[in-house]
Amino acid sequence: MAFLTLKGVSKEFGMFTAVRDVSLTIDKGEFVSLLGPSGCGKTTTLQMIAGLVEPTEGRISLDGRDITREKPNRRGLGVVFQSYALFPHMTVAQNVAFGLEMRRVPQAERTDRVREALVLVQLSSFADRYPRQLSGGQRQRVAIARALVIAPPVLLLDEPLSNLDAKLREEMQFELRRIQRKVGTTTIMVTHDQAEALSISDRVVVMEGGRMTQVDAPYRLYEQPSNAFISSFVGKTNLLAGTWRRNGTTNAADIGGALLEASAPEIAAGTPVTLSIRPEKILLCDAGAGRLEGRVASRFFLGSQWLFTVETPIGIMTVSTPNLGVEPAAEGSPVGLDWSPDNMRIIAGTAAAA
Amino acid sequence: MQKNGTIALTFHVLVLAFVLAPLVIICLVAFTPENTLSLPTTGLSLRWFKAVFAHPDFMASFWNSIWLAALSATLAVAFALPAGLAISRYSFPGRDFLNALFLSPLIIPHLVLGVAFLRLFALLGATGSFAWLVATHIIIVTPYVLRLVLAALSGLDRSAEQAARTLGAGEWTAFRRITAPMILPGITGGWLLAFINSFDELTMSIFVTSPATVTLPVRMYMYATESIDPMMAAVSALMIAITAAAMLVLDRAFGLDRILVGQR
Repeated sequence: MAFLTLKGVSKEFGMFTAVRDVSLTIDKGEFVSLLGPSGCGKTTTLQMIAGLVEPTEGRISLDGRDITREKPNRRGLGVVFQSYALFPHMTVAQNVAFGLEMRRVPQAERTDRVREALVLVQLSSFADRYPRQLSGGQRQRVAIARALVIAPPVLLLDEPLSNLDAKLREEMQFELRRIQRKVGTTTIMVTHDQAEALSISDRVVVMEGGRMTQVDAPYRLYEQPSNAFISSFVGKTNLLAGTWRRNGTTNAADIGGALLEASAPEIAAGTPVTLSIRPEKILLCDAGAGRLEGRVASRFFLGSQWLFTVETPIGIMTVSTPNLGVEPAAEGSPVGLDWSPDNMRIIAGTAAAA
Repeated sequence: MQKNGTIALTFHVLVLAFVLAPLVIICLVAFTPENTLSLPTTGLSLRWFKAVFAHPDFMASFWNSIWLAALSATLAVAFALPAGLAISRYSFPGRDFLNALFLSPLIIPHLVLGVAFLRLFALLGATGSFAWLVATHIIIVTPYVLRLVLAALSGLDRSAEQAARTLGAGEWTAFRRITAPMILPGITGGWLLAFINSFDELTMSIFVTSPATVTLPVRMYMYATESIDPMMAAVSALMIAITAAAMLVLDRAFGLDRILVGQR
């Protein structure tokens, strides 16, 4: 059931087109992330939904109602800004109460709802503090409480976690998801962090240069990226450019002389293709036992896993293996690389500069 | 913080002494019991302060200047605030021209302005009323307010105002409840600078005051051309005290660094 719909939405700033023909349908209760590098138009898209930027073309509708030209104060959407945008001259409770005050909610009910919202974000004891007396994570939660207290039909999050340090960011990801599950609000989050987008979204919208290039569930996005950019932007990958060959009954690609098997749809022999294989899909084995021979150029210990760069006849390959409690192949040692052909993905065309 | 070297320290002390010494001396002279401008050596006296308060012309000019400064500073804020908002937030044809126009009184010598206004008023047949005096002062103090309002606005995170809008506030409510309180230090600082600049403006006022609207600096100037006695020092000391008190209030309320340097 379409709840929020964007239809052919574009935004031009003078000669520059920030967002080009974005069409998107979001269901009620869904958590959708807009993912892309900076300047890809994701924040502008969010601001158009919020009503802070007016689209040059296209329509936006919410629950069947056209809101394309509606003022932000009439839309009633909850927005959490990247800078949190708390009101510095108001206490936490006053910040959270602001939206209710604008809606002329009676004092008694207002107090109750502010208290509930602060309980939800676990900040009950901070009601009388000023924003400057709070840490980054606490400010972020005030911003969420302030946006949620008005019971918005849609919650918009603009890079909500980018100002937090790594550990706090991870905690807040789960916190955000917990709150969203509990309240059930349809949520759209803008982020440039693929791990963040993958971990908490129902669906991820990838944007490049103002366009939507793929909309998929996180798992499918990761396993079946639609182009070279996405495959390297979402997670790490090894991109191999070559030419498609048929070798009897098996399909394979000729990568610098080496024939690599891959399951493929109908592709004519001689077509230039790009293969993609994720580092964790490659297994290290004894030299001579794998599909490809190589030599460990360097290895990095990441705690839960090892990350290798392996020199092979077809170029440098990145391989990650889980930490199994024994020390793996040392730098300089010859190794074999093996994988299941099912995990060798084919991305049409030549590799874009990744 | 980095420590100053000996040479730098000496330099700083000399600059401070050069700036403050005349003020200290004039304040000391104000307490002299003698009839001439001299440092009090035989004891302190308040006789010259009493003379100021008993002098009807000086008192009339003093109140005249207070009203003039308060009124022109307030009206300057009323002009500079919307002008500052327009200049900092919108791009429209003539924006840079408008900005330059509002700031131009800073560059034009007050002497020139005074002569020009005198000539203009003569042409208009509008001589010497208080309203005209206020109008001229608004022109010369508006740049100070505009500078500080622009500084406050440029350092402002607009997302707070946008957040208020998404929470249901109309444009005016968002300005009144969120933006205005956030730039209040800039507005107050601008008002105070405007007040002080109007309060001690002499060069232009000489040309545009009439006998009924003589401001305190003009009164002092007129008095000093005839006789120099310690009463002048007493008036000066009072003016210094008023200015210092205003600065102190401002510093306590918002912090002078924040207002004048634009730190947040």
